[in-house]
Amino acid sequence: MNKTLKINGQTVAIDVDENMPLLWFLRDRLEITGTKFGCGSGLCGACTVHLDGQAIRSCVTPVGSLANKSITTIEGLSENGDHPLQKAWLDNRVPQCGYCQAGQIMNAASLLNQNQSPSDQDIDMAMQGNICRCGTYQRIKKAIRAAADELAKEV
Amino acid sequence: MSTFTRRTFLKTAGIGGSGLMLGVSLPASALSNDKPFKQDEFNPNAFIHLSEDGSTTIYCGRCEMGQGISTALPAAVADEMEADWDQVTVLQGEGNEDKYGPQATGGSASIRLMYLPMREAGAAAKFMLEAAAAKKWNTDISQCYAKKHVVYHRGSDKKLSFGELATLAGTMPAPEKPTLKQKSQYQYIGKELKRHDQDDVVVGKRVYGVDTKLPGMKYAAIVHCPVLDGKLKSVDKSAALAIKGVSDVIEIDRFDIPFGSLGGVAVVADNSWTAQQGVKALKVEWDTGKNAVYETKAYKKQLIANVEKSAEVMDSRGDTPKALEKAKHTHSATYTGGHLCHAPMEPNASVVWVKEDSCEVWASTQSPADIQKVLGQYLQREPKDIKVNVMMAGGAFGRKFKCDYVHEAAVISQKVNAPVQLTWTREEDMRTGYYHSVSAQHIEAGFDDDGNVDAWLQRVAFPSINSLFDKSVERAPKGATKDVYNHPFGVKNMQVESGLAPAHTRIGWYRAVYAIFYGFAIASFADELAHKAGIDSFAFLNKLYDNNTNPKQTEQIERSKHVLALAAEKSGYHQRDKLPDGQGIGLAVHYSFSSYVAMAVHVEVDGDNIKVLNVDCAVDCGQVLNLDGATAQMEGAVVMGMSLSLYTEIVFRDGQVVNSNFHDYPVLRINEMPNVRVHLVDSDKEPTGLGEPGVSPFPPALANAIFAATGKRYRDLPIKPMSV
Repeated sequence: MNKTLKINGQTVAIDVDENMPLLWFLRDRLEITGTKFGCGSGLCGACTVHLDGQAIRSCVTPVGSLANKSITTIEGLSENGDHPLQKAWLDNRVPQCGYCQAGQIMNAASLLNQNQSPSDQDIDMAMQGNICRCGTYQRIKKAIRAAADELAKEV
Repeated sequence: MSTFTRRTFLKTAGIGGSGLMLGVSLPASALSNDKPFKQDEFNPNAFIHLSEDGSTTIYCGRCEMGQGISTALPAAVADEMEADWDQVTVLQGEGNEDKYGPQATGGSASIRLMYLPMREAGAAAKFMLEAAAAKKWNTDISQCYAKKHVVYHRGSDKKLSFGELATLAGTMPAPEKPTLKQKSQYQYIGKELKRHDQDDVVVGKRVYGVDTKLPGMKYAAIVHCPVLDGKLKSVDKSAALAIKGVSDVIEIDRFDIPFGSLGGVAVVADNSWTAQQGVKALKVEWDTGKNAVYETKAYKKQLIANVEKSAEVMDSRGDTPKALEKAKHTHSATYTGGHLCHAPMEPNASVVWVKEDSCEVWASTQSPADIQKVLGQYLQREPKDIKVNVMMAGGAFGRKFKCDYVHEAAVISQKVNAPVQLTWTREEDMRTGYYHSVSAQHIEAGFDDDGNVDAWLQRVAFPSINSLFDKSVERAPKGATKDVYNHPFGVKNMQVESGLAPAHTRIGWYRAVYAIFYGFAIASFADELAHKAGIDSFAFLNKLYDNNTNPKQTEQIERSKHVLALAAEKSGYHQRDKLPDGQGIGLAVHYSFSSYVAMAVHVEVDGDNIKVLNVDCAVDCGQVLNLDGATAQMEGAVVMGMSLSLYTEIVFRDGQVVNSNFHDYPVLRINEMPNVRVHLVDSDKEPTGLGEPGVSPFPPALANAIFAATGKRYRDLPIKPMSV
């Protein structure tokens, strides 16, 4: 019997070398490609997913270490693409090439899970592991603030 | 500058008997004469497809890499066509220059080349839809007008939707010269438009080149020869082949044409990670060859020596040496900069499937025609027989103009007889680049008591991009130095010299190209001169422009001065004496790629800690197509300008790149993001591109700001190099 893990609510067998990073299990084995390869060393954040709601770098997380754990990728962040961050990303027209944005959004969602009203410094601290070469940082900050405001209204 | 006064030839073709399909083709002469890349044959087309249900597809022939061209140009088509943007789907055109016109996407040229043809295509479609309505209503076309996907009849309430008219419109003759809208009539041009694909981006559904999946596809990873023109000596494949999932180890020879492989060893497996493990398990020995001597630290010193003595004169007016000798005051300085690698977030990746009778490519690329050329040459097939699916690029910045990573995938595919996805690791991306040139520049100027600059000698030395195409090139040629000579500053005695700088690595276009170091040297030096002359920098720059009496440069001078004034005003430059200690504002203006950008950078400096607070960017790119896209390009240019000003540098030792990933090639992160304010000049002038022009004013504006804050002058980029 293979070990299993949950990805976006679905149970999946770990039928690969357990050392394979989650990133490649998602991309090449399951062909779920929203999670991106950027550096392979946990330096850029493009591969960020959630492990039980918390941001992890899937490129340095062996899939075998995730038995019985629950993983959420960008595809599973919300039912209809309507997470407050996704909406704020659209309202603020954040993406340029967009390649890093799944990682940015997942990382920001993890921040908001832990801190619903982050200060500018909190945002800087939480988001500085996520690189954007197109340079969308200013809009990312605005979008996170907007999403936090939206969440504050919902409470 | 290009002018679009040529007649446009329009043609139509029905598609499956229904709907309207419209192409526009223009003669080769309709293309800009200062285009940056060689285009030797043309019969360009752009396509609109309107279905009977009203859905409209607009194809973008230019490659998309985040710069927003696939929103800006199709929106211009939709505007002229009176199409409802909400009913438009934008698709990326495949590699086909006969159909789409020039597709080599670089030099900030897309808007300059395609703005008018694309608008004319839209206007022609509108004309044909109106003509179709006129026919149905048995009236004159002048009685019909299109608005938002519907054609209306003047003087009655008759109307027909675009969908209802599509098929009949396809039978109407195209107008010889379609009538274009006036600026006051624009619906989308010059407005704030969201990117057409952003909804897909935020849910992870946007498909990039690296996301391509095909049935039976194999995965490959590669290690390249670390030194240019080195060779494989030996490879022990056994450990790699012993890994479960590894199927093949393939030696790839250097393909010694400009965008061919550097040579390396690839491992094929059933997933990318296993292929990467296979590469790590290879025991490879290289014969590194003559370029193993390359060491950037020593090379930079040599370049400095080469510009601090006489070099080869490229251009000259007046008598600069004599004017310098006679000048009341003189000043000189030497500026340097390091190699850069593009490091887009999506590393080089492509899928190629070579079969007996066909070859198909899926690649993030800036130039599908170059893929066709290189693969055609490698496979001994006609370029047109190479089918290239142009995929969305996760950033490119010039790197994906060069298709070595596609060529390699083709080699592997042919060997394993299957579709192959080759994905480079970040380490290979950094170590196997086409680097922005390391450079040195020396400037000497003479000026009078009033700060009038009478003589300007500029010597430059950098390995040029030409070395990629011609190995005998050992110094920057005249074509590469003309931007210095033609700079709109008014200096009577001007001489530009080019020093020896042979290339030891592959040199390539990097966003803003030579404007990066020219802008840095010229705008830094102008600031130095202002301080030497005891004149406010803003006034001094204006004087430099005003002293230009060349009537051909009047417009350049006016527009340069205008953006400079705008940036200065918005930044509070004129009130800078109120800034606290340790703060300063620096100015720089640079004209490049036919656009004008001035920046005012406001810094706070505390010891080694340089904090950029605000950046005011004033931009004149003529008529703006997408206000939001233009603003985004400037924000991004500031980030890239700041990365390369402060941190990024590729270092060579023993002929090999020392850097390997983002820990030793540190790029700007969010915590250092300044407040960027973009001020776009409202202009009716011919539109020009903005992908690159925003990068070059940042480094000098920053250096000038640091000087204003501290009195310390930085002349070497990056300012805070990592020791690697």
